[in-house]
Amino acid sequence: MGRLRQKGKAGAAKAYITRSQATKKLQCSLADFRRLCILKGIFPREPNNKKKANKGSSAPTSFYYAKDIAYLAHEPVLKKLREHKAFAKKLSRALGRGEWSSAKSLEENKPAYKLDHIIKERYPTFIDALRDIDDALCMIFLFASLPSNPRVPPSLIENCSRLAAEWQLYIMRSHSLRKAFLSIKGVYYQAEVMDQVITWLVPYQFTQNVPSDVDVRVMLTFLELYQTLLGFVFFKLYTDAGLVYPPPLDLKKDEAAAGVGAFVLQDASASTNQIPARNKKVVEIEGRQVTGKDVYQTIKNLTSTSSETNGTADGSTIPESSTTEIEEDFVLQPSKSDPQPAAPLATLKSLESLPQTLNTSLFSPYTFFLSRETSRPIFEFLVRSFGGRLGWSPTSGGGSPYDELDESITHVIIDRPVVDIPNESPEGRERRSRRKYVQPQWIVDCINAGKILLEDHYAPGKTLPPHLSPFGEYEGAYDPTAPLGEQDGMSVDEDENSADEDEDVVMDGPDSANAVALKVVAAAAAEDSADLRAAELAAEAAGVDPAVFEKEVKKSRKKIKSDTTEEAEKDMNKMMMSNRQKKLYEKMKYSQNKRAQERSSLEAKRSQIQKQARKKARAAQD
Amino acid sequence: MPAEVKTSKKRKQDEQHDTAPGVFSKAVNMEMLSDEEGSEGEESDGQEVDEFPEIDANSDEESDFEDEDEEDEEDEDEESESEADDEDLLHVFPKAKTVVSDITGQPKRVYPEIEPEYDSDSSTEDAPNRVGNVPMHWYDDMPHVGYDMDGKRVLRPARGDELDRFLETVEDPSAWTSAFDKNTQSDKPLTTEELDLIRRLHAGENPDADYDPYEPTTEWFTGKGKEEIMPLSAAPEPKRRWVPSKWEKKKVMKIVRAIRQGRILPSKPKASAQPQFYAIWSEPSSSHPPPLPAPKTALPTNAESYNPPEEYLLNEEERKKWEETDPEDRDRDFIPQKYSSLRLVPGYDRFIKERFNRQLDLYMAPRVQRVKLNIDPESLIPKLPSPSSLKPFPTYKSLRFPHSARARCIAISPDGAWVVSGDENGIVSLWELSVGKEIRRWKFDGKVGSLEWCPRTDATFFVVGTEEALHFIIPPYLPPAIYQLTQTLLAPSTLPPTADASSPVKWSTAPTNTWTDDTPLLSIHLPTTSGLPIQIAWHRRGDYLATVSSGGGVWIHQMSRRHSQAPFKKVRGKVQMVLFHPMKPHFFVATQQYVRLYNLSEQKLLKTLTPGIKWISSLDVHPSGDHLIVGGYDRKLCWFDLELSDKPYKILRYHSRAIRSLHFHPTYPLFASSSDDGSIQIFHARVYSDLMTDPLIVPLKILRGHEITQGLGVLQVRWSNKHPWLVSSGADGVVNVWCN
Repeated sequence: MGRLRQKGKAGAAKAYITRSQATKKLQCSLADFRRLCILKGIFPREPNNKKKANKGSSAPTSFYYAKDIAYLAHEPVLKKLREHKAFAKKLSRALGRGEWSSAKSLEENKPAYKLDHIIKERYPTFIDALRDIDDALCMIFLFASLPSNPRVPPSLIENCSRLAAEWQLYIMRSHSLRKAFLSIKGVYYQAEVMDQVITWLVPYQFTQNVPSDVDVRVMLTFLELYQTLLGFVFFKLYTDAGLVYPPPLDLKKDEAAAGVGAFVLQDASASTNQIPARNKKVVEIEGRQVTGKDVYQTIKNLTSTSSETNGTADGSTIPESSTTEIEEDFVLQPSKSDPQPAAPLATLKSLESLPQTLNTSLFSPYTFFLSRETSRPIFEFLVRSFGGRLGWSPTSGGGSPYDELDESITHVIIDRPVVDIPNESPEGRERRSRRKYVQPQWIVDCINAGKILLEDHYAPGKTLPPHLSPFGEYEGAYDPTAPLGEQDGMSVDEDENSADEDEDVVMDGPDSANAVALKVVAAAAAEDSADLRAAELAAEAAGVDPAVFEKEVKKSRKKIKSDTTEEAEKDMNKMMMSNRQKKLYEKMKYSQNKRAQERSSLEAKRSQIQKQARKKARAAQD
Repeated sequence: MPAEVKTSKKRKQDEQHDTAPGVFSKAVNMEMLSDEEGSEGEESDGQEVDEFPEIDANSDEESDFEDEDEEDEEDEDEESESEADDEDLLHVFPKAKTVVSDITGQPKRVYPEIEPEYDSDSSTEDAPNRVGNVPMHWYDDMPHVGYDMDGKRVLRPARGDELDRFLETVEDPSAWTSAFDKNTQSDKPLTTEELDLIRRLHAGENPDADYDPYEPTTEWFTGKGKEEIMPLSAAPEPKRRWVPSKWEKKKVMKIVRAIRQGRILPSKPKASAQPQFYAIWSEPSSSHPPPLPAPKTALPTNAESYNPPEEYLLNEEERKKWEETDPEDRDRDFIPQKYSSLRLVPGYDRFIKERFNRQLDLYMAPRVQRVKLNIDPESLIPKLPSPSSLKPFPTYKSLRFPHSARARCIAISPDGAWVVSGDENGIVSLWELSVGKEIRRWKFDGKVGSLEWCPRTDATFFVVGTEEALHFIIPPYLPPAIYQLTQTLLAPSTLPPTADASSPVKWSTAPTNTWTDDTPLLSIHLPTTSGLPIQIAWHRRGDYLATVSSGGGVWIHQMSRRHSQAPFKKVRGKVQMVLFHPMKPHFFVATQQYVRLYNLSEQKLLKTLTPGIKWISSLDVHPSGDHLIVGGYDRKLCWFDLELSDKPYKILRYHSRAIRSLHFHPTYPLFASSSDDGSIQIFHARVYSDLMTDPLIVPLKILRGHEITQGLGVLQVRWSNKHPWLVSSGADGVVNVWCN
């Protein structure tokens, strides 16, 4: 006989621990426990059998892995939290006694914890960390736009906006932005950094109010972690790109609301003077101080490519990829032994660029000017990520490299209703004719399409084409770009009673439409004799040969019959399914039906809208 | 300060009295270091003594003291006066007179009435009750409330009821300033002092009207002109008062040196020795696998665009539906909007809330890794051969034979040419299967519960089960040889000896002279109260038949011996159906939840099958005898492989109502089930002879044609022996024939 097994000593009863048990075990408050869970990334688990995990009780509780909690018990942060508790007690005692000096010294020696080890633990490799920064970026961008209040100190907001600017600078410099989407919630950006797809959402520039049902403590704890995480990630990204991290901030420019332009990207090799062999290039966003090094670089750039001279002369961003690729490209050495020229080898670089058809220097031939009503942070980021040059009006921040009258401006992004300018100077008119005026959606649509779209559809005052999500939808979802071809018949089917619709179809394409109508009518009529009679009459009226009609009816009948027998067979075969399979099948069918319904409702709406538009157009013609 | 004053006063008294200073006073002096110093203060003491009463007039103690003094003085005065007056008055008790009682005639002492005089304590008091401070509830049950000075009872003053009291309060203007006096058990008006006290207490003031909380301070020792000029001690100032301490200097110098050498830092440097961010991923990570990354949020779809295609916008009803659903149940957490240009897009008000919800999901939602099934749901449906390849099976209704009442039972002759059907009115009809023509009709009293045709081919007759009786009937138009044999079988000329005369089952043959085709030749009368025979099951040879009565009784009748026996003394549960095994001497008995298999020759239980059905309605055994189907009122059908297990091999649930009847086709691989939902389901059931292959069950056809009446549908189905034809009887009083 084996050893007696006691209940609750093994299995799920041991592996899981409830939240209250966990707090009791860790001897910390619930708030501290939450904080720890957030920082360490510990989340509740769902046991297979709740009853087994909770001593036979099926009350709703959240369970954690007992191992997770056991690891938490050795967490240095937990120790610091306990120290902080003692410190808070001491401080409140000192304040209550009016001992200001001791309170001050206590405050100075306040216990503070570091999250470095947690970052390393949660993200053992850099890729792990990079994969998980979506939420962090969203939070950083959100907090960068929040007003400060006693719960959210200004230093925090400042740090967040600094991190946000650093990220944008990196994306702009590495040209890793892939997609953008203007949604009603904000602007979605998608970048590809080290083969990791990172999507983040930036709210529009409006003051956000923290609702009362939001626990700011939780958000701040997350933010604490995210700041540290992003700090380390950016450090790695910047140092890998050969830049100094953190990029120094030009205070004067920052005060002039230069935005991301206030940061100066410094080459790490330039600052340390250690690796002169590497391609030295300082990309400075705005207002660089002219030093000896700069002059040297300018000369070097001038010699490297003539195409870039314009960019450097203008003092704007250099399209990065072209130079680096040229310098790092695999250079073919004709081998002496083989007389035939070797086929061009696929280098890592070219392989990398092969599948991605997108053009990261999409806007490089153009210079844009932002009209004052457009959002500068959004479009500066978008345009410069794709190699464009950009100027803006002084009302939306300082540091614009172009003023409005600059000759090199090719596009003006404008977002206001069209007004007639009564007395325009001839040179102004000439300038207007030379430039292209587009609405802001053009930029985003161009980026998502990967090519420069025709500007005419996006001219100011025009009704914009719909802005579609570049991220796509699930497979088989309704596609608004696809023509409504196959749904045509259905729409006819739906309102075959309405005469004008039938006319419509006939008018559109007499032959094909006729055939389609006939087929559909026959299909519909096959069921009922009265309908059949009506359909016959309709067919006669349409001038269809009665023999053809008969044939159609027979065919459709046969089809319907075979369909129904097949259906019945399938229904009968369902009897032989096990209960579990049946449930699974029902579930899958349900979701399929739901999707199909969604799709069909969208299609129906679209056809209705089109019909109305056609009617309106016809009315307008008459 | 008052204590000091007192001591000084005391000391003065001591001095006056010239008592020798004891140890105690010395000790006091020792304590009071300032005694000598305050030598000049003593003079002022003297002065202050005079002022003292005036200043401290408000103090309780002093005033009492004063009053006492005054009283004492008065007392003394009076005493001096009265002393001279009368010595008698000094006696505590008045003198008693001795009189002879009128009643007893005995002398008794009578004290004079006490005349309260002016100086007596109680002269001014009105209180007649002298019980003192005792709980007055002691007198609750008494007519009096205490005793007066003479020891006489003080009677309880009359107190009216609540109404009187109320009227009193209305009439008496001073009622609201009077209070109940426990001692006299009556209301007494409060004095002005008492009212003032109450007012003060109510206002939260000091109850003492004379108390002045803001009296000016009296400076006794400090203040102008009271500065101490002379030092208290004549001792010279010690050196330590002005020379800096050497040891202190040493200690300070130690700290100074430590600071200079940098051992002590004035303020700890902020831990900025290490840069805030560094290459954390440069050193190798631990071998721990990284935790699973959190699932990413879903990417936005077209509907979220600021300028979506118009069909994405919600119409009125969709919007209403969206608003009515709970926020958790919504497909989208936003309403699609369309703006004509980007500058018109407002801020999204739920941005923070959504981020917060995401974070709650991240740290509070349990995560489970699920394998997403990416299969076509159609692939879950088992692939079965097409019914068209499994023909023949009945597909359409070819005949309809009406009855006047519920057609409960049907039976088909072994040659497959005739059908008998019985209804609840007691009518049994014999008709041809191929054309549906009724040949003969019998009428019985009461319902017909069951019908069964004898499986013998050399003799032809059928059995009708009516109330507590079984009737053996010979159908008409039989060939003479068969007719003869049947007649001799049912009514033999020499009856076998009756084994047991006391058997409750009576066999009775109709007398040959009176018997016609319209009456049963042989009848078996089951015991009364056994109820309607609901089932008749023939053994394959046609000698034995088993009947199940509605009361649950099971009988096995033997034709040749004209003998009936109850095989079970006691059956657990009510018997629903019985069946003979088609090959072996086995006997199936279905009770409410179990099917038991008995060996009749060995008379023992072989097996108990548990179909897991709540209430078994029907069962049938496959012609091979190895497979059994059991149907229940809870819509389940169980297929048992008797070789395999006591548990069902397959459980099917396809009827929407209770299963009523099951039947295997004797020759074709078919079986049918009928249900209260009015449908008949035909299955192909192929059984393989090798034990490895599972039986193949394919649903073939659903036959609909019976109407549901009073919740009952198709009551019985029977197959024709020779053809794949099915006969079904329904609660709507119709018997249908289904042909292929």
